[in-house]
Amino acid sequence: MSETSFPVNDLLRRKLQTSLTVITLTLSVASTLFLLLFSERIGFGIASVTEDTLTYGLSVVFSQFILFVGILIFAVGAVITSFIVFLMMKQRTKDFGLIKAAGCPNGLVFGYFITELLMVTFSGCVLGVGLGFGADFAVSNIFDFQAHQKPPNLWLAPLVFAAFFALALIFGAKPMLYAARLSPIKALSPVQYFDLSTGHKFKPLSRFGLTLKMALRSLFRRQSASVRIIILLSIVFVLLTVSISGGIIANETTQSWIENAVGKDIIIIAHTSMVAQYKLLLSKFFGAKENGDFNYLDERLAIPSTVLQQLNSTPKIATVDARLILKEHVQEVSNFTIDPETLATIPVGDNREGDSLIVGVDPQKVTATWSIQGQFLNMDDGFEAVIGDSISHAMFSQPLFQSIRLQNWTFNIVGVCVDPINNGKITYIPIKKLQNLTSTSNPNIVLVKMEPSADRSATLAQIKDEITSGNSDLTVFELDKVLQENLSFLSSAWSTVMLLPFFTLTSATLCLIGYAMLAAEEQRQEFAILRATGAKPKAIIVILAIQSIVVLLSSFAVGISLGVITTLLILVPKPVVTSATVLEVAALLFTALAGMFLLSLYPAARLAKTSILKNMT
Amino acid sequence: MTMELDDSVVSVHSLCKTYQLGEARVEVLKDLDLSVARGNFTAICGPSGSGKTTLLNIISGIDKPTSGQVIVLGQDLTIQDEDFLAEFRRDSVGFVFQSYNLVSTLTVAENVAFPMEWSRKPEAEIEKRVAELLETVGLQHRANHFPAQLSGGEQQRVAFARALANDPPLFLADEPTGNLDTKNGQKITQMLQMLKANGKTIIATTHDAQIIKLADQKVCLEDGRLASEDE
Repeated sequence: MSETSFPVNDLLRRKLQTSLTVITLTLSVASTLFLLLFSERIGFGIASVTEDTLTYGLSVVFSQFILFVGILIFAVGAVITSFIVFLMMKQRTKDFGLIKAAGCPNGLVFGYFITELLMVTFSGCVLGVGLGFGADFAVSNIFDFQAHQKPPNLWLAPLVFAAFFALALIFGAKPMLYAARLSPIKALSPVQYFDLSTGHKFKPLSRFGLTLKMALRSLFRRQSASVRIIILLSIVFVLLTVSISGGIIANETTQSWIENAVGKDIIIIAHTSMVAQYKLLLSKFFGAKENGDFNYLDERLAIPSTVLQQLNSTPKIATVDARLILKEHVQEVSNFTIDPETLATIPVGDNREGDSLIVGVDPQKVTATWSIQGQFLNMDDGFEAVIGDSISHAMFSQPLFQSIRLQNWTFNIVGVCVDPINNGKITYIPIKKLQNLTSTSNPNIVLVKMEPSADRSATLAQIKDEITSGNSDLTVFELDKVLQENLSFLSSAWSTVMLLPFFTLTSATLCLIGYAMLAAEEQRQEFAILRATGAKPKAIIVILAIQSIVVLLSSFAVGISLGVITTLLILVPKPVVTSATVLEVAALLFTALAGMFLLSLYPAARLAKTSILKNMT
Repeated sequence: MTMELDDSVVSVHSLCKTYQLGEARVEVLKDLDLSVARGNFTAICGPSGSGKTTLLNIISGIDKPTSGQVIVLGQDLTIQDEDFLAEFRRDSVGFVFQSYNLVSTLTVAENVAFPMEWSRKPEAEIEKRVAELLETVGLQHRANHFPAQLSGGEQQRVAFARALANDPPLFLADEPTGNLDTKNGQKITQMLQMLKANGKTIIATTHDAQIIKLADQKVCLEDGRLASEDE
């Protein structure tokens, strides 16, 4: 037999194992490539959507999430690939010993198996790359991602191919190198293959929980295989947890940031044109554009003090947040810090300039609560400012060490907040200072929050009556509609991103079925013997189901813990986790677990249905 | 369905077994009739490929015939479901395979014990029986070893102990000395002799003259058919 014909014939002879390995390898490479292509499209889509929308802080959450899931997808694919080839080649240890025992030189046997490994790996990787591009093409067309239409990044194909091919070769060659060092008799022995050792004192299994004990005995005896599958599943569960819980928590957290910054159940009272302008400023979050300049300091926009007095004396009103809003040119003020070791001064920032919406507020009477780095304004007439996340990113290096200049006045930045108004290009300062600066005595908008116990429609009607009776130009408007539009936009962006965990789960499950079938193949003969000596087919399914549950739950515990820690500590700053979120995440993860468990039973059912003689040989 | 028409433990009528190997259809057993009386030792001989192992697999309930009737210990095996056959194999049949077929991840003692564990016998009884059986086959000192750490002869003796675990009335052995040297072969023959003395019904496929000498009945198969039958 020629040196090249042996590996080909050998692979063809072992049709089931060869096709299972190639299919699983193909699925692993294809799903990784597809998910990377898909996440890049989503990332690009989000980036192109967020260019003039969202705020910088929110874009960061999206891009961090996609990047992290992308890295995990690659890691999962790499681990699955490595384990598949490792399992395939480890199963050949006995054959290695047999051929060596028949007198074939070590180098030649090694050559045979490496050639087989190369052929299987190459076929799997090539088919995987083709299938990955096919899936990306199909999904892009089915889901019609209009915002994300751009040619696929072809560089990902050689990257995935090269990385996975190299990994497969390294992990596949490892057991062969090990087998090459063993004497033929050792290589032939299952003691070597299963890492078995003597010294187990015999203790019969009791009648109670017999199947459970049999399952656990078999699982623990096959320690190296069990540890491999637990590691693999743990990484899959980290990915699932990060993508599912991360996605849900990030969605709810960002929704809560927006809801708190805009305020819930807020009523605005302002001149009709100012109300329209304020709505427009909030709608910029989902892409609305301003038409020309708006004169915020127009005297007609000023809200008379009598209106404020009326509002303050209206029962059932919790907060009256009078604001003076205008647009102004602002400048970054550089600063320096001192290196604690060298005592040298280090410059911070530059003198960048730009436009910002300036909002004067009374710090004690704001209706909003922001997600904030630092703190909100303390004094009602201090030289303090809180800036929005987008202006902070565009104009400042270390905003909390710097100041912002407005005309000739300099305000120390005490906080950076996430705020959808004007897409985060906003600066809050005390209203008294802004009034002094602009020589304006009245606010141009009032935000009102009712007490929770108030009869909303009655109080609203009372406000409308009182305000509009004497001021025909003033409008009373409920802000909830604009808030809902902002939240819907955010939700739709997240729902696109959440397709990523869905596809991740699907591809991980497909790969796992392949792996489970290979692993079941490893136990085929053992189960055939059990059946030949009296075990019922149902008992075999129960044993495999118990093993599956133990492996899945162990990996679930490790994967979920690491995934939750990663999500809460790294991915989402100041996460909002309500009991409803926990229930939703738990329900999804347990559904995924149950789905994986049910699918893992397929190889078991197949094994139990196959005739004893077929399994035994 | 239980049928106790005569004293036969095994009664095979018009048995046919065909395998489909790719395009080819291989007839392994052709219209075979066989009867084995209670307490009888039957040796089945014949050249390789004559259908000996297939016949044994069908009698044990591991395989099913293509057509014909197989009544073992009063049960028509051709009409039973897989659960019944599993219990039948566990309680009524002891099978020694030519290639031993021990579970490689279980120790010698565990291999002997698991048919009893499947029968859910009390722990103390299993422990006592395993010790007895290992002593009978002379392997008590190997109880905590794995099959791969044993010689072929020792593995075959473990397979004997396992086959006897539930004290089955019918004992089947597929070329029990086929892979063994003379010394180990003699040990196996002695064990069969002991079983015969204990009144077990034994069917063994074999080429071994020593075993054939022990048999009450010798059946020869050729090309799937009964070539001769000597009492």
